[in-house]
Amino acid sequence: MSKPEPGSSRIVVPRSMSRPRLMSRRRLLTSVPALGGLLATGCADALVPPTVRGGLIGAADVLTMSTTRWLMADQPLAREYERSDIAPDFPTWGQTNPDNEDYQRHLSEGFVNWSLPVNGLVGRPRAFSLDELRQLPSRTQITAHVCEQGWSAIGEWIGAPLTQVLEAAGGVSPEARYVVFNAMDRWYESIDMFDVVHPQTILAYGLNGDELPVGNGAPLRLRVERQCGYKNIKFLKSIDVVDSLVGFGRGTGGLSSDFGFHWYGGV
Amino acid sequence: MGMTFERSPGAVGSSLVLHSYNVRICHWINVIAGGYLLLSGIHIFLDFPELYWGHTGYQGYPALFKLSDWGLSWDEAGALGNRMWGRNYHFTFAWVFLINGLVYVAWSFARGHVRGRLLPGRSELAPASLKADLVEQLRGPAPKRAAATTYGPLQKLSYSLLIFVFVPVMLLTGLAQAPAFAAAWPWLLDIFGGRQSARTLHAAGTVLFVVFVLVHVVEVLLAGAVNRVRSMITGKFRLPEEGM
Repeated sequence: MSKPEPGSSRIVVPRSMSRPRLMSRRRLLTSVPALGGLLATGCADALVPPTVRGGLIGAADVLTMSTTRWLMADQPLAREYERSDIAPDFPTWGQTNPDNEDYQRHLSEGFVNWSLPVNGLVGRPRAFSLDELRQLPSRTQITAHVCEQGWSAIGEWIGAPLTQVLEAAGGVSPEARYVVFNAMDRWYESIDMFDVVHPQTILAYGLNGDELPVGNGAPLRLRVERQCGYKNIKFLKSIDVVDSLVGFGRGTGGLSSDFGFHWYGGV
Repeated sequence: MGMTFERSPGAVGSSLVLHSYNVRICHWINVIAGGYLLLSGIHIFLDFPELYWGHTGYQGYPALFKLSDWGLSWDEAGALGNRMWGRNYHFTFAWVFLINGLVYVAWSFARGHVRGRLLPGRSELAPASLKADLVEQLRGPAPKRAAATTYGPLQKLSYSLLIFVFVPVMLLTGLAQAPAFAAAWPWLLDIFGGRQSARTLHAAGTVLFVVFVLVHVVEVLLAGAVNRVRSMITGKFRLPEEGM
């Protein structure tokens, strides 16, 4: 176990992102030319879930999300560990091998014909093959997978930062509020721009020096390190950049939240 | 021991308001929030009924505690626990508990309740005083106890530890398990030695909480159930006759 190295604990993302309540879109867009307009609205989105449930539970959801997001206003990294901390046997959970035809065909072909369409509010909607994703700048991170069920395990993930993928698709338009991830096991989840722009949010194609195992979501899974396991969706099929979550499942922004979990998995 | 169970002079046989509004309201909100926290926490635990130490812990990893060693298999426990219900209600009532607790503590400091009634004095913390109080408690129901309108040394000590040590530790061990709080406050992981250690301490704290509630309820029953419970609802406490 170790602390992140000096210099890596503060990130390159927007100081302006550090005051979600105060920043204006204009200021945001002009202050981060490096992200080429990748950032969008998302100021109130960072504090309040897309659909607020009724009653006390909904009030608690808002308190939880706005409190943690306020505490993370300077976009801290989730802790990164040493190689020696890596779990001897990284566990698999939930769906470990989708038994639908499409997935099994891609698996038997070694995912050479698999590709990831990136659609919606991006400059140039396109699909990425696994090789194309590997050619993008990559990030390697040794982090703890924190399952909402109670277990945690440390693994070394390698993948393309989501911002790199979106940039390669022409950047996102200013109306974009959420990124929706659709999976080959018919699962879906979404995250807001606060997590989209975070450097540890990557599309991982490797675990512990190998290709991503089937049980851990081959060929590609989301790592969103400051949220619980259920948001780290596996077996990615496509990505949609959207301004509204209506039209996906029941419209709550994820299959788990359609079931009744809180959409925001920070706690 | 005269100072342990003080009797208001000249008030024998009459009644007085023993607990203020604030104490009464906060107490019963706490009963509801604490009850939900306990029940929902058990639901969450049953969905993964093993405890570990450090940062890592999963099925197959060396565990400190396995419910299956105590006769309830993984599947049986899982069938009893609903973590979705548990998570929703645990976090909801954690907020209720926290806000209620902050109101109580702020009010208690402002009104002098903390120094006046809650914190044990130096003389009360002396081993002889605590020992005498313990002997008194173990002897069972006593007229003196039924008439007490101030907290005894052990009572003051346990309430103070509960409010100012136990609750903050439970809160922090809870937060340390949340990836967002752990990212915002990495020291949470350092002070407890990892997420699994925090989870284990949180579970151990739950056992302590249950023990506290049981002892608390037994004490209330022994010290005059009707009079005591009424004093926590309406505030009214009837001072028993001498020698009752």
